[in-house]
Amino acid sequence: MWSQLLDTIWKTEFLFSVIRITAPILFAALGAVIAEKAGVTNIGLEGIMMISALFGVLFSYWTQSWLVGVLGAMLIGVLLGLMMGFFALKLKTDIILSGIAVNMLGSGGTIFLLYMFTGMRGNTGALVSPNILIPTVNIPLIKDIPILGDILSGHAVLTYVAFLLVWLIWLLLYRTPLGLNIRAVGENPNAASSVGVSVRRIQYIALALSGALAGFGGAFMSMYYSQGWNSGMVAGRGFIALAAQAMGRGEPVGAMFSSLLFGLAQALRTKVSGLQGVSSYLVSLIPYVVTILGLVIYAASTIKRVKKIKAARPEGKA
Amino acid sequence: MKDKRMFGFELVRGAAAILLALGVGTIFIFLSSDEPLTALRYLLIGPLVSIKGGIASFNTQGFYNILAAMIPTIFTGLAVCVMFSSNQFNLAGEGVVMAGGFVAALAGIYIHMNTGWHAVLCVLIAAVIGGLIMLIPALLKVKLGASEMVTSLMLNYVCMYVVLHFLNYNFADRSKGSTQTFPFEASAQIGTMVPGGSKLTWGFLVALAFVALVALLMYRTRWGYAIRMIGINQAFSKYSGMKVGGTIVLSQVIGGVLSGIGGGIEVLGRYSTFLWKELPGYGWTGVTIAILAKNNPLLVPLAAFFIAYLNKGCQLMATYCDVPSEMIDIIQAAIFLFFAAEQFLSGYRQKIVVKNARADLAKAAQISEGGAE
Repeated sequence: MWSQLLDTIWKTEFLFSVIRITAPILFAALGAVIAEKAGVTNIGLEGIMMISALFGVLFSYWTQSWLVGVLGAMLIGVLLGLMMGFFALKLKTDIILSGIAVNMLGSGGTIFLLYMFTGMRGNTGALVSPNILIPTVNIPLIKDIPILGDILSGHAVLTYVAFLLVWLIWLLLYRTPLGLNIRAVGENPNAASSVGVSVRRIQYIALALSGALAGFGGAFMSMYYSQGWNSGMVAGRGFIALAAQAMGRGEPVGAMFSSLLFGLAQALRTKVSGLQGVSSYLVSLIPYVVTILGLVIYAASTIKRVKKIKAARPEGKA
Repeated sequence: MKDKRMFGFELVRGAAAILLALGVGTIFIFLSSDEPLTALRYLLIGPLVSIKGGIASFNTQGFYNILAAMIPTIFTGLAVCVMFSSNQFNLAGEGVVMAGGFVAALAGIYIHMNTGWHAVLCVLIAAVIGGLIMLIPALLKVKLGASEMVTSLMLNYVCMYVVLHFLNYNFADRSKGSTQTFPFEASAQIGTMVPGGSKLTWGFLVALAFVALVALLMYRTRWGYAIRMIGINQAFSKYSGMKVGGTIVLSQVIGGVLSGIGGGIEVLGRYSTFLWKELPGYGWTGVTIAILAKNNPLLVPLAAFFIAYLNKGCQLMATYCDVPSEMIDIIQAAIFLFFAAEQFLSGYRQKIVVKNARADLAKAAQISEGGAE
């Protein structure tokens, strides 16, 4: 069994699939990073992904254009982010509860909306055709490099966007005035407010950006990954993204690496479940257990580091 | 006087939030249905009033069904009340209900006892398992500072897949078409209280008893006091000498025990074998109920009744009209958003505060005038 597993993993397709599976988690994880940097926890990522995934399919079906579908999904994400902002920032509903409400809309509301718009139940099978899926691209020079080309080239456009966004969001956070404001608001809202930064406005912007990113993730799921929308599609990826954010110490690059770890776990799950004599249910556990273990290891290492710093500090100065 | 007015305000605000949520639901019904008025009738009065040939009559069986549907959600609602009171956003109720139901079912099948205590033992086992599961996010939070929210969300999936694994590979009754366990022993089943086909079991009375117990715990014991104080101000509680870590763990373990009992009673009361293939949804409903009850255990049955009523209405709407039953999620989300909104109708509250202050000032002025004469 193990040799069988190694055979399937030791192939370029496996690493290719890791990247493919990582992309939607990465989108949502970056969304979690921005929101958390501004001091708001966006637990609604899961629901935003579900809803924008549905609208991605609907928009692309109505216009027969994948690009409109993706942009529409992003727009829906922005609107949901702003809605969470309206309730959490203006009406002072707890941000966690606002997120749970969005998740409820994501799990049941989508089924209702799908029925309302199309009369279909549970999935969009009949709406999807290859020409409205997100296209894949071969990268000129890289595709000719022997092994690397097979792994890195031929992904969906949005996959590259996801990894590009890691860098863009780092730029946004650390090289622009808006990014400075976002970080200031997250670290000390009172200080930010005292120098004239509108805390509420910055948090609105952060939630909108976070929603846009989750919207991309949703579009990726329905318009490329599972080629159509169905009710169990996102399956906790929005929650895993929160864990990726925490494990990545809240930084874009860190979130990328932890997203890759969860992508690896998920890819492993698909490979292992194809083997004989393995419980598909126990295999399904892998990504979730890896997430919990990841959080534990991260939290334990943080505590150790804090202790070290405290120990290194001379007595009486603490 | 002042408190009474503010209490009145809270009532008005709650009612306004619920009306607004129903309003949102109504808009969606009009958008999606060809016969919106019939759909609305089923949603609003369908659960309790049956109309046959133009004559409306009280639907007793429907009433029992609603009470029966409250049994598991009262437990998850209480669980969320206790956990949220200590400001711990533990959302693993969902998975714990499923795991609790499963172990209660196994105990009902494989332990042989010939007394009514069999069911009690099964539910107790479910309670212990529930408490143990909730120890995981609680300890990780207290010992390592890992977010209980994320770990508990992941635990839901872990519980589901572990249960499904054992159900499919170890305990399935292969003679049946669908995946389910062997039937429970008769002694493990929880009997119904009323005649007819409803599943209103003795579990309902147990649920009400637990409402009283949890209310006593939260308002009449020092543990409940500590849980509530830590929820209000953790730093202050720690400074004043409370055992913050232990109390946080305690509140989540109590939440786990309650959710586990809910799952066990539901499975042993409603079914004769274990056949859940996905998370049952009671955990999330419990969150809605706790929000509606404002974390007050005594209000949980009322909130549970309201949600069960709406749920039944949505099901009727889906059965007899062209509105999908998932409508309930939209209404619940709207209730969530408006009901928990502290600033909702804050302008109105401001007016009450101003009015009270003026009244107080006038009274004070009168008294001082009286003193001068």
